[in-house]
Formats: sequence, C-alpha cells, structure tokens
Amino acid sequence: MIRAKRFEDAKAQATGNSELFWWVFMRISGIVLMFLVLGHIYMTFIQAPESVTASYETIVNKLDKPVWKLYDWLIMVLAGLHGVNGARYVIEDYIPSKNRRFWTKAIFYTVVGVIFVWGTIGLYTFQPAQ
Amino acid sequence: MIGGYRGKEGQWAFMLHRISGLAILLYLLLHILSIGSIAISRDAYEAVHAVESHWLFSIGLVFVTAGVLYHALNGLRIIFMDFAGWGVKIQRELFYLVLVISAVGGLMTGVLTLGRILGWFPEA
Repeated sequence: MIRAKRFEDAKAQATGNSELFWWVFMRISGIVLMFLVLGHIYMTFIQAPESVTASYETIVNKLDKPVWKLYDWLIMVLAGLHGVNGARYVIEDYIPSKNRRFWTKAIFYTVVGVIFVWGTIGLYTFQPAQ
Repeated sequence: MIGGYRGKEGQWAFMLHRISGLAILLYLLLHILSIGSIAISRDAYEAVHAVESHWLFSIGLVFVTAGVLYHALNGLRIIFMDFAGWGVKIQRELFYLVLVISAVGGLMTGVLTLGRILGWFPEA
C-alpha cells in the first residue's frame, strides 16, 4: 500500500508499476463511483422504497433498457475492483505471515470472482418470465 | 495499521474509511448474490425480494446509505489532500464537514424510512 500525500510521492514510493496503477485507479474509480452509487441509492431507495423499486416488474422494465443494464454492470465492476483492492490493502496490513496472506487472498479473490460471474450472468442472460 | 495518517482526526478518518469500505464491499457482494436470483426464476427472485422488503432491511439500508456517504465524501477529502496543498491544510475541518454531511444525510434517510414504515406518508 502506498501512503502518499501527492502523486509525486506516490510515484516515488510505489514498489512497482501495478502498485502505482492501483493508487491512481482508487482515486479515479472513486470519483466515478461517487456519482454512480449515490445516484443508484437515490433512485432505488430515496425516491421510492426498495420494496417498490426492486419488484420483479420494475427490474424487468429496467433491464430492458441497455443503458441501465450498463449502469448496474459498471457499478458492479468498478465497485468490485475498488472494494477488492481496498480489502487487499487491509489484508496486507494485518496478515504478516506470507503464507497465510497468500491463502487469504487466494480464497478471497476466488469467492469474489464467483460472485461477479454470477452477477454478470444474472444481468446479461436474464430473460423475463412470460 | 490504524495510524496511517498523523493526527487524531486523521486516524479516525482513516479507520472509519476502512470499516465503511469493508462493510460496503460485504453489502455489494450480498446484493449481487440476492439480486442475481432473478436469473433463476421469477419465484426465486420474489421469495428473496419478500424477505428483503421487511422493515428491518430498510433500516439496514439507512446505515448502508450513511456508510456510502461517509466513504464517498472522505474519499473526496483524501483526493483533495493528495492533489492540493490546501487539502492537507484543512483536512481536519474537512473531516468534520464529512462527518456532519454523512450524519445529516443518514438522519434524513432514516426519518424518511421510518416515516414509510410507520405510514406517515400517503401511499404514492
């Protein structure tokens, strides 16, 4: 994990290009997610209760429009990468043993990967019941 | 490590950022798992949806909203600190501002949700 106050410091501290990439990614995806997620919460929870906005009919209507499908998928991918990388920082900070750290990451990435495949299949193979 | 940034408020901000981040990730994963049931069948989805329409879940969503607000705004504070000198200079004030906005936003969402549960509003 890079503990830097500015990009120049981050660049100097980075142990490799990928670490610097994630430092930048967290900031850019964070700004994009701010709009996507707060917008999502506003539309699905503030404007109307979740019991209404997540009813089967509403979801069918929503997923019928490619824009909203992409919107939901973007949140899933960006929040997923942002969250998994954040959790990786935590794992690297709190698990000193190299071996245990490796296995924790391996299991964590696998579980998250499966859930994401599940979500993508749900979004893109979904056919409404007749 | 909790002492990532120096200073009292900075440490709290850092800790809260981690806790809210992990909580949001956990919520995201459960959210994908449950919503994904729509790919199985309408009945499967509606069974899940019925459980999630319980008022306890709505209360839970209020905390998710407050957590997301905090994480988003504090993230913005971090970006200001990264890229601007004035961001570092006023980071303490920004932390309190982030706390106030998150609390007010959470409270407003809470009142709205409570009102819906207790039927304060005419049915829309």
